[in-house]
Amino acid sequence: MPTYAYILVSLALFFVGAAGVLLRRNVLIVLMSVELQLAAGTLALLSFSRALGDQKGHVFAFFVMALAAAEAAVGLAIVVSVFRTRRTASLDEVNGLKG
Amino acid sequence: MNLTAHSASMAETIAFAILSAGVLAGGLLTITRRNPVSAVMSLVLTFAALAGLFATLSAHFLAVLQILVYAGAIMVLFVFVVMMVNREESTPIARQGLCTRAVGVLAAGYVFYRVAWLVGHERGMPLLAASATPPVKDFGTVSSVGALLFSDFLFPFEAISLLLLVAVIGGVMLTRHVREDRPSRVS
Repeated sequence: MPTYAYILVSLALFFVGAAGVLLRRNVLIVLMSVELQLAAGTLALLSFSRALGDQKGHVFAFFVMALAAAEAAVGLAIVVSVFRTRRTASLDEVNGLKG
Repeated sequence: MNLTAHSASMAETIAFAILSAGVLAGGLLTITRRNPVSAVMSLVLTFAALAGLFATLSAHFLAVLQILVYAGAIMVLFVFVVMMVNREESTPIARQGLCTRAVGVLAAGYVFYRVAWLVGHERGMPLLAASATPPVKDFGTVSSVGALLFSDFLFPFEAISLLLLVAVIGGVMLTRHVREDRPSRVS
């Protein structure tokens, strides 16, 4: 398959994730949408890496994966911590810092 | 020769169509499910299909890592937190501020349309039209990616391992149960 097909799939997946971040109020689903966006970025990196015949894109995809793991760990820890104090997982109800 | 090449390309096209349909369907299911457990399962479907797409890009190492790290580790983490925090939403999409969110989604959709149009329009340029024949023999294997990781990218590799360590410590600190009789530093 040509590279642009992969890039189009990656774009569509990224914007599905963006729609999830913008529309959903459950913080877990928002975190999952962020994971979708990171995975779409990985797909774009890998397809350009394949098109250029350069494996450096694989290294950066590896870094993105490690970054996603770190983000999921810290994000979910924050979710658990917030749920413990406020008994909610809704983004609209966590507004203690809102002016 | 030409016939075999054509049939291989046909099989590749079918595999690409099935896998990308799985990726997009899984992503759409993830952001539309009301129950977070079904959202996590759809995310597993998305990442499994994405690992298949990585394999068609001859990124074997990354495909295996995708299954291990995402579908294994991160999804287990998500399932645990869903079990702790499971509250089904009565209205999954916020009524409050729906207007600004709709504007945001429309803007994001417009950006998607423009970029997708650009990619479709410029699909003849060499980078985007490059088809996927493996350029070197051991492209994307563990040994070649690992050799790059431990030579040119040694410092970023160590930095990312430090980042993971910080994330682990941060996760433990944030979820640590603070006893009532002791004054907590994290209020």
